[in-house]
Amino acid sequence: MKKLLSIALALLMVLGLAAIAKPASADAEEITLWTYPIGNWGNEEAVKALTDAFTAETGIKVKVEYLTYTDGDDKVNTALTAKKAPDLIMEGPERLVSNWGAQGYMVNIADLFDDQDKAEINPAALAACFADDATAYEYPLCMTAHCMAINMTAVKEAGAEEFVNTDTHLWTTEQFFNTVKALAAKYGLVGGIYCSGQGGDQGTRALVNNLYGGTFTNAEHTAYTWDDPKNIQALKALYDLEGLDYDPSINGGEEIANFYNGIFKMAFCWNIGQQLNPNSAGTGAGKTANGEDIAFMAFPSEDGNAVLQGGIWGFGIFNNGDDARIEAAKKFILYMADSEHTVDAVRASNYFAARSAVAGNELDIWAGNEIMAEYNKLMPFLGDYYQVTKGWAPARTAWWNMLQQVGASDGSEAAIAAAVADYCAQANEGAK
Amino acid sequence: MSPELRRRETVAGYLFLLPSLIFFVGFVVIPMVMCVVTSFFDATMDLNTPDKFIWFDNYIELWQDPVFLKGLTNTLIIVLVSVPFTCIFSLWVASAIYKMREGLLSFFRIVFYLPVVTGSVAVTVVWKWMYNNYYGIFNYVLKNTGIISKNINWLGNPQYALWCIILILLTTSVGQPIVLYVSALSNVDSSLVEAAEVDGATNTQVFWRIKWPQIMPTTLYILIITTINSFQCFALIQLLTSGGPNYATETVMYYIYYTAFKLYRFGYGNAMGVILAIFIGILSAVQFRLAREK
Repeated sequence: MKKLLSIALALLMVLGLAAIAKPASADAEEITLWTYPIGNWGNEEAVKALTDAFTAETGIKVKVEYLTYTDGDDKVNTALTAKKAPDLIMEGPERLVSNWGAQGYMVNIADLFDDQDKAEINPAALAACFADDATAYEYPLCMTAHCMAINMTAVKEAGAEEFVNTDTHLWTTEQFFNTVKALAAKYGLVGGIYCSGQGGDQGTRALVNNLYGGTFTNAEHTAYTWDDPKNIQALKALYDLEGLDYDPSINGGEEIANFYNGIFKMAFCWNIGQQLNPNSAGTGAGKTANGEDIAFMAFPSEDGNAVLQGGIWGFGIFNNGDDARIEAAKKFILYMADSEHTVDAVRASNYFAARSAVAGNELDIWAGNEIMAEYNKLMPFLGDYYQVTKGWAPARTAWWNMLQQVGASDGSEAAIAAAVADYCAQANEGAK
Repeated sequence: MSPELRRRETVAGYLFLLPSLIFFVGFVVIPMVMCVVTSFFDATMDLNTPDKFIWFDNYIELWQDPVFLKGLTNTLIIVLVSVPFTCIFSLWVASAIYKMREGLLSFFRIVFYLPVVTGSVAVTVVWKWMYNNYYGIFNYVLKNTGIISKNINWLGNPQYALWCIILILLTTSVGQPIVLYVSALSNVDSSLVEAAEVDGATNTQVFWRIKWPQIMPTTLYILIITTINSFQCFALIQLLTSGGPNYATETVMYYIYYTAFKLYRFGYGNAMGVILAIFIGILSAVQFRLAREK
């Protein structure tokens, strides 16, 4: 009896293990979507409304998992190595095209783009989603331009209003420096060149590149070029500027929190999502914690015409070897990003549509929204989407390590140039 | 017991062991073997490039990699500081409290054990707030008492960052050793202690001659566990500094994670894992040997 019992128990456990190891193959009536927190695409309630509508129309259920930027990549990579990847993933070309696509994990979805789509989708977004002319790993849904923000109430109190144009949201390097100086004279601390990690690094990259017209990569996206003298000049100028410190103890998210709580008077990690809901605190659009006004601004440049870093987000399909599921995933993409439902899908992101029209019908997603209309003034300044350059992940790490090194240096041009050269070389190693 | 009965009992015993054995083999043994095997390959996530057998190249590269060497140095500093401190401090606290009445003893046990059972993320977030450059309590107190005139960026300054990490590690490491030492000291044969005292032994002599030998197995366990935990310091680094500033808090464990899961160099990361395991193995063996000789 005891032997029988033990055999039965052991079998049960082994069968249980087998069940864990190989789940029953789901048919194409259910697909899985993993999404990063792209506006309200990280909000279960908002996404459920969208996926329920999709299920009602197609009969295909969508199981959604919500990732964070802190550990999302690790989860996806673990799933990929365990061959448990989701059917669909929502993120930007730097991950979908340059990383997982280039490594052979994604399905080529070039067949989803017809000529009309290609005409309607923003050219920069379209280009970023294609690895080459015939291979696409992402279908774009939404996009925005990243910018910076200033505490307008503090700027007025510091008497620096004359340097800030809240109509065009553009300013020159000189106006920016004058504003920082005025704020520093009044408050001491103005902001921080955050560099504890890669979170929000688009802000520091755009700030440094814009100040004197430096670049991050070459136009062909084959090499990192942030060792050019214009960037060194910018890093040196920031080092010398009172009120702004290189801060290796905070990242972009923490910078936003400091700005929202009034500790900083400027933030370099900003976009329309933050402007609508600063620090995701739900305390009102364009306001700090104590109700002071926040103005969004382009990054300063010598001639006042910024080159802004873009964010493009859309869907990609992991190749799990199941044609039925791939087809179902494609249906989902077209439903969300190329149909009359695109308006809702884009609105959930809190960003702008990556296309001007769907099937010839103009998209007017943010009609009547004053803040979005105002923010839309920055969109023409979207620059090159260089995040698709090979070796992007190590290059990002090299960037914030370089900022740490610059901050810890004596601030001499030679020391800054040496740090920049060293880490840029590291980044270029990864680009080979 | 007849041979047949013994055989049946043996089979039954193994069958009961089977489920946990499957888990052990599946989740411990096989990954360990794969780790060693992969460390000889140029293994990445790239499906388009097959993994290449590269003999000892990963191991050679390690010793030329300044970040790994910095991480190894920092790891050794953490071990050398935290292991002796944890053992001595917890023994001192346990010696002071183990004879207290039950209520008071429980209070101290709770106080020292609380950081152990509190989630590491919660503990780290609180410490991060205390260390904060702009509104942290350390800067607030030090400034208001006139000890410093300007805020110190505790986690952003290479001079202080590693010591800040070690301080947190110490507060979360002493709880378990204290509880173990309290238990071990309570179990010391009181008749031996009383006999020594009757013979005129001083407190120091009683401790070193009677108690210390009897709590040696506990000390050995604490030494090994603390050493392993110190070598594997990861969550604090990940949550507080990401190895910065300028690699001042880089540890081998964090660099393994970074190399494998950010750069996708699985082979290289695994080679580091093997080296770390060898270090831990050697140190544990030395500790065993020393304890046995004592």
